[in-house]
Amino acid sequence: MDEKYAIDLEHVVRIYKRDEFEVRALDDVTIQIPAGRFVAIMGPSGSGKTTMLNLIAGIDHATTGRVAVGGEEITGMKERDLASWRARHIGLVFQFYNLIPVLTAFENVELPLLLTRLSKAERRSHVETALRVVNLADRMDHYPRQLSGGQEQRVAIARAIVADPTIIVADEPTGDLDAKSAEEILGLLVDLNRQFHKTIVMVTHDPRAERYVDTVYRLDKGLLVGTEPGRRGAPAEAAATSA
Amino acid sequence: MKYAVLVFKNLFRSKRRTILTVLSIAVSLFIFSALVSVPTVANQILSDTASSTRIAAHNKAGLAYSIPVAYRQRIVAIPHVEAAMTQSWFGGVYHELYDQFPNFAVDHEQIEKVYSDWAISPESIEQFKKIRTACLVGAETMKRFHLHVGQQIQLKGSIYNFNVTLQIVGVLGGKAPPTFLLFRRDYLEEAAGRPGFVSMIWVKVDKPENVPQVIAAIDEGFANSSAETLSESESAFIGGFMQSYRTIFRMAEILGFIVVLTIGLVAANTAAMSIRERRGEIAVMRSIGFTSRTILSLLLSESLVIGLLGGLLGCGSAFIVLKLFAVGTGSMGPMSSIRMPPLVLAETLIASALIGVFSALGPAVSAARRNIVDALRMVA
Ligand SMILES: Nc1ncnc2c1ncn2[C@@H]1O[C@H](COP(=O)(O)OP(=O)(O)OP(=O)(O)O)[C@@H](O)[C@H]1O
Ligand SMILES: [Mg+2]
Repeated sequence: MDEKYAIDLEHVVRIYKRDEFEVRALDDVTIQIPAGRFVAIMGPSGSGKTTMLNLIAGIDHATTGRVAVGGEEITGMKERDLASWRARHIGLVFQFYNLIPVLTAFENVELPLLLTRLSKAERRSHVETALRVVNLADRMDHYPRQLSGGQEQRVAIARAIVADPTIIVADEPTGDLDAKSAEEILGLLVDLNRQFHKTIVMVTHDPRAERYVDTVYRLDKGLLVGTEPGRRGAPAEAAATSA
Repeated sequence: MKYAVLVFKNLFRSKRRTILTVLSIAVSLFIFSALVSVPTVANQILSDTASSTRIAAHNKAGLAYSIPVAYRQRIVAIPHVEAAMTQSWFGGVYHELYDQFPNFAVDHEQIEKVYSDWAISPESIEQFKKIRTACLVGAETMKRFHLHVGQQIQLKGSIYNFNVTLQIVGVLGGKAPPTFLLFRRDYLEEAAGRPGFVSMIWVKVDKPENVPQVIAAIDEGFANSSAETLSESESAFIGGFMQSYRTIFRMAEILGFIVVLTIGLVAANTAAMSIRERRGEIAVMRSIGFTSRTILSLLLSESLVIGLLGGLLGCGSAFIVLKLFAVGTGSMGPMSSIRMPPLVLAETLIASALIGVFSALGPAVSAARRNIVDALRMVA
């Protein structure tokens, strides 16, 4: 395993068993993503995109193969260790935002910080910073139902970045948004990648996303069928990692 | 403590459901704590008399049979006996049949020796000894009929075919049964034509450890006579009366537990529903890095708070109701003095905490352990 890769999947297979059926959601996938990249995973429905993301985020386990994230092998980690590993290294963004409805924007963003040793004042300043980054500082006390879809997703992004994770993992973050909001979210992710050097892995169906990313990985029926540079212009070594 | 906000906000997620759950737990624990308080009264009375140095000597054939008044002299002569007082059931009715309270005729010379713990003032005792028609009345009966010291009252005979006219000279307090009325036996004797028999004799012994020995001496002394005696310690005597309530007490306790159990099941159903609705959110929190254990403690804290709120509300109102009830009526005899003992209060709160925790335990454990990916798939 190589330290310089933020994400390193080697011969990863994920098989789901349903009754007597077996689904090979991922079939011998090997991908290396260097730190600081913004990459997209694309492919038809059921091709294994979410499965791959879940493995990277440490909320699912590979059936065989090895998964290393941030130079740390997470393949055999115990559930408890994995939970605190996620808290430190992964920021998750979902298609349907998945904010907690009974908590305000502020409290939703504060959630990951409850798992840290930060004081109340420190938590407050981190949350405020995160909400400023997503340009929602004025909506701190709003509940999710009082926000638009785009705003909810920005709160979710603030929640994903507030604990300063090494990697942001987003599953169709624009899938439920109108074109304008989608552009805003993509722009925001680009900023996070450029300004804060976050490694971002995003699953998307959105062809426009290609313009924003360094690399596009294409999956089909659990197989990695293509690796292409995004139109943003990939740095030189991106090409070298393509299989 | 930083998690308190989470617990609090989740309790307010569905205000109506939370309030209804709290109320149903409160009602069940109201019933539970009130029912469980009932037997404790009996236990209280028994423990009050546990170290008593009094003996009740009555006819072996039963309380309905009398014993000769002359037995008193022989009992007083037994070693360790300090005093003995005869007592006769008059069974008089004050106004109407439903207005009853226990009334007895007793030895006016002996009462303060045998019942030194009844807080009768020296002046009252003096009057009781001086006036032949004097009577002493328990505080509750005084209050119930708005009686006052100095007042004359008439009791209609129900066993005897004559009435007695009595003058209230004092109030019974201390450990005296609050409904009793006592008047002088010499008055009753004369009115009844000097039959020379009494219902029973109360015997005061010098030390508790001598009680069994005196009991044996009394009963042996009257063995093979025309009226054999059965003597019992005061607690055994009162316990005998309580015996008839035992079944009711047991039923009350069992009923209390059934009510709590039932509400526990209802609460479990509610908890299961409320946790099921939040499976997606729970999965999101775990994906953020919350451990199963933290999630479990959050869910259980919520339901613990609900249980305890219900418990406080339930036994708080039972406490108040019992208190009001005890003051308001005297018609229930010994039952009117039901108070909620601290033990029942503690029991009820523990029961409410258990309802809280156990009602949510099953669904909370499975929600906290559930596969994150599966749960997320259901929300997406
Ligand atoms: N927990 C699971 N149990 C059983 N089968 C699963 C499970 N998760 C995924 N699968 C199956 O694995 C395959 C890949 O699923 P995955 O969710 O990764 O696809 P996807 O590319 O994200 O699709 P979409 O674009 O529709 O979100 C699918 O055939 C799916 O039915
Ligand atoms: Mg998917």
